[in-house]
Amino acid sequence: MAFSLYQEFYKLNHRKLTWLAPLVLLILMILTGLSIGYNESKLLMATCYNAPDWIMLILVVVGATTFSMEFQNNAILTLLYKSPNKALVYLSKYIVILVYNLWLHLLAMLFTLGLHTIPMNQSVSWSAIYLYQQPLWENMLKTVAVDVLTTTFIISLIFLLSCLINSNAVVISVSLLMVFMGQFVSANLLNAEKFTQILRWNPFNMTNLTRQYYNYTTYFDTSHLLNQQLLQGTLSYTLLFIVVGYLIFRKKRF
Amino acid sequence: MLVVQNVNTYIGRKQIITDASFKIHPGDIIGLIGPNGAGKTTLMKTILGLTKFDGQIQLNQVSVTENQHAALAQVGALIEHPAIYPFLTGQQNLALYAHDSAACQRLISELNMTTYIHDQAKGYSLGMKQKLGIAIALLNNPQLVILDEPMNGLDVEATIGVRQLIRQYAAQGTAFLISSHILSELQKVMTQVILINHGRIIVNQSTAEFERLHHQAYQLRTEDSQLTVESLAKNQIHYVLDGDTFQVNSENIFEIQDILTAQHVHLKELAPISSNFEQMVVHLLNQQRGDHHDN
Repeated sequence: MAFSLYQEFYKLNHRKLTWLAPLVLLILMILTGLSIGYNESKLLMATCYNAPDWIMLILVVVGATTFSMEFQNNAILTLLYKSPNKALVYLSKYIVILVYNLWLHLLAMLFTLGLHTIPMNQSVSWSAIYLYQQPLWENMLKTVAVDVLTTTFIISLIFLLSCLINSNAVVISVSLLMVFMGQFVSANLLNAEKFTQILRWNPFNMTNLTRQYYNYTTYFDTSHLLNQQLLQGTLSYTLLFIVVGYLIFRKKRF
Repeated sequence: MLVVQNVNTYIGRKQIITDASFKIHPGDIIGLIGPNGAGKTTLMKTILGLTKFDGQIQLNQVSVTENQHAALAQVGALIEHPAIYPFLTGQQNLALYAHDSAACQRLISELNMTTYIHDQAKGYSLGMKQKLGIAIALLNNPQLVILDEPMNGLDVEATIGVRQLIRQYAAQGTAFLISSHILSELQKVMTQVILINHGRIIVNQSTAEFERLHHQAYQLRTEDSQLTVESLAKNQIHYVLDGDTFQVNSENIFEIQDILTAQHVHLKELAPISSNFEQMVVHLLNQQRGDHHDN
């Protein structure tokens, strides 16, 4: 396991995309700060300058290429026979992307602390009370924690798709569609107001978890689920997608 | 070391390998040969636990299954294409698998890769990639190395270098299973031949035995051609006469010697008509196709 993890970290560490992504994240966070309005400092600080959406975008690209680079570079056979079993290959890749996910969120918080010090938006104290009657610093930490769960769910979905489809272009496209269009699909399904009690548990709805956490009143009307229910749904689908993805990977012929 | 016993491999519902059995011992260099689609690569993948199969594959008495590859810890392989990440340098591609950096450096020197090993692999030629793939297979002192068409894209010098390296590793006890379409090249290193056709192993012999058994014809000259003709005809032995030289089938040579000795006809020459390895293989495959048609 240790050697498989070393290999996966080694590959991730040597990909340009891995190091380019934080720069892209920072630029997108600055653009968000500039475009969202001078008086929206509290929202920007609580959401790390909309980092959840940008991190999701980065993870779709990095995650989708994690498997497809093995297929496209003919490395999957070597990877498989050199590993004691297939589960280890799958698990190592998953753990490495999870760590990268945590690292991106940590960076997003550090960037937020840095951006807060420059006069881009109205200056607000970190101890100012904002969402859920809690100080801003707590809002930011909790939003990041919730978003780690949302992005973990997205990674599971990307891994499942990667095991179904070999082409990284197709996996990236489908993943982006599901992640960014999914909430509209879910909203349209629920707006029909038929079978809402069942349809509100559709997996697309779980992509609303982070947004609903920092904007409950707007997103509850879309998701029809409480925060707690969204959390439970997200965790359940994460587990389901990991297991189904692994079973597909295990059965896949290379 | 490696025991393959009654192995049947399936891709989907289609059976690709049928009842394959053979053994590989330390230091063996086995040439796996056969026409396109015969099942060579599938057999190699099966040994590496990469296909669905039944039967038994054991390496040092430890079973290999589709989901348990622990027995393959000391196995190196190059299957289909070299497994190379283009965003890494050659050195980094090796470091990804190497347990001993000194041995890794030695391998780089032995394969003459020092001039470009620190360049990114995306700029490598086919031959450079192939050498890197072979180096990856030879890392960490493997007990068994499986090479699928290793000479693909290699120039003459590299081919000679790889051949020497294979002999060197084999002398130290590493066993090789090598498939190649360049039979003349394979012939220079292999000690045993496995011929596979339609997923079945049809020959599994040492190269010396293979050459001895499958020489197709012998030429014969005697001191009395006329008496030889009469004797062969009388005993219904097939021959072709060209001047004073007879061409006879290999399976009749002992009987012919007995007949001619009884007739007090002395031999002037009895020697195999030189046929190269390729001709022998083609002859065997044709013979098998004939058998298939007869059945």
